[in-house]
Amino acid sequence: MSMKIDRRRFIANTSLSATGIILAGKMTGCSTSQEKQIVSYDIMKDVMKYRKIDAHQHPSDDLEKQIEIADRLGIEKMQISNPVTNFSGKEAEGPDEVRKNNDVVIEAVKKYPDRFIGFFTLNPIYKKESIEEIKRCVDNGLIGYKGYTQVKINDPVYYPVIEKLTELKMIVYMHTFTQLGMGGYRMKYDVGRFPNTTLAEDMVESARKYPHTIFHFAHIGGGGDWEYQCKMLKQCPNIYVDTGGSNNEENIVDFAIKHLGEDRIFFGTDGAYIHGVGRVLSSKATDEQKKKIFFDNYVNVLKKGGYNVA
Amino acid sequence: MLLDINTYVGHWPFKQLQYNTCAKLLDRMDKYSVDISVVSNLNGVFYKNTQSANEELYDELQSDNNFRGRFIPFAIINPIYAGWREDLEICVSELGMKGIRVFPQYHDYEVTDPSFIELVKAARNRGLPVAIDIRMVDSRQRSWMDIPVFVPGEKSDIILKEWQLKNVIPIIREVPDAKFIIVNVANGLRVNDEELELLKKADILFDTSGRSMSDLPDLIKKFGKEKFAFGTHAPILDYLSGRLRIEYMNDSEADEATKELLRSGNARRIISI
Repeated sequence: MSMKIDRRRFIANTSLSATGIILAGKMTGCSTSQEKQIVSYDIMKDVMKYRKIDAHQHPSDDLEKQIEIADRLGIEKMQISNPVTNFSGKEAEGPDEVRKNNDVVIEAVKKYPDRFIGFFTLNPIYKKESIEEIKRCVDNGLIGYKGYTQVKINDPVYYPVIEKLTELKMIVYMHTFTQLGMGGYRMKYDVGRFPNTTLAEDMVESARKYPHTIFHFAHIGGGGDWEYQCKMLKQCPNIYVDTGGSNNEENIVDFAIKHLGEDRIFFGTDGAYIHGVGRVLSSKATDEQKKKIFFDNYVNVLKKGGYNVA
Repeated sequence: MLLDINTYVGHWPFKQLQYNTCAKLLDRMDKYSVDISVVSNLNGVFYKNTQSANEELYDELQSDNNFRGRFIPFAIINPIYAGWREDLEICVSELGMKGIRVFPQYHDYEVTDPSFIELVKAARNRGLPVAIDIRMVDSRQRSWMDIPVFVPGEKSDIILKEWQLKNVIPIIREVPDAKFIIVNVANGLRVNDEELELLKKADILFDTSGRSMSDLPDLIKKFGKEKFAFGTHAPILDYLSGRLRIEYMNDSEADEATKELLRSGNARRIISI
């Protein structure tokens, strides 16, 4: 049977085993008494049907390869950031390292301005340098912010940065997590997460303090408890999530739509390109909802800040 | 033809699943043009007496004529529980099971346990494939009641006990002429040269559901096109990513003949249908 034809005839073999439930012997050439029409599903056609912006990416060492993968999945643009993630102490995560990381994003955006949307990173511990770095990055074409685990988003140290980003109408996008062991609930195990990682409840606290700021809670498929996250974030309409991460459980997108609504979800991969697309396609989302998640929601939120990427 | 070698019905006790009955799975199969699914009953992961789960699956499959020809049941056997030899016999000769699934992590035995080796040899003697999950769920979001994945007392250093491919190597080494299906490969396929040779010689399939299958073209080059088959790990993982990993490949990575092997040819070989 070819998967390429529009319609195909599925032959349900009723030459059964002793149990009556097994497809017996060979798949073809058997006697049949039951025929069923099934519409052939062309997955690549479905993939390419939707315009896509990946709201959670990082610059690869091979940008051309990254773009080629995106092309094959119909991903038009990728929002990239390059947070400092060496965790080796304040000095190594200081302003020099931050600038170096942001330069990688700046260069990628300059090289492929039609494919990459650049976000900068900071270490808010360095207040003066952070404000200076925002200006430098904005001058170099970056249009949003991605924070990592140096400081929790609800730490007062973050307030000047959040206020500056709000003034610039930029998205406050944070690496986040929630799971057994590192917080949120059941603080029982230490699984190596960093204590200043932003949890769902941390973002809720900041989102309430800054109700006119757009927050982006990263990768609900990133291994955290996505049910917990969605239920916690539900209360704050100014928090958005992306679907990125390597955990492609079946119900993630449907659960997010149910609890957050179809307008607060961005398509994201965090490098998990294929199952990033697969988990949205596989969801119960309607065609219109998939269009929103894959593309429109992120475009619209960026547009609110005056950043037109479509 | 599209044959999914990795699906379940039944319940996962820590999280609600969608599409976890034969009827719901069949709806998914029809919607997405999947012809046949290898299916087991998740309840058997948690029942001490796994035969009850096999009987449940049999009864469910008998309950609707629309299920005929669309499912290939695999029995869940726990080789350290009383009566497993009789259970295996009944599953094959009376319940029509065409393979077995085993859960050393959940049923709490080592892969070199003599009982497990005996079970795999018994499966081999009957021509039955033995399916092993590298993991059932992503342990990072596990329930506090799920199997432990941390070493008690350790702080800061992340010491996960989530399996890798190397964890199943010992049983393949013990019974190298058995048929194996390794599913939901999530933590890489790193093996040394000797292990690679062992795997290449074995009659083994990896399904495409696990996150480590994202670089399928390179894996095909390394292990061979006869070693992979379409699988979803439904209803736990999303229904389409395992499929997309196959169809995403361009002609230079996998020609149509190779894709047909992955869609159903390799699975039909190992299940002997």
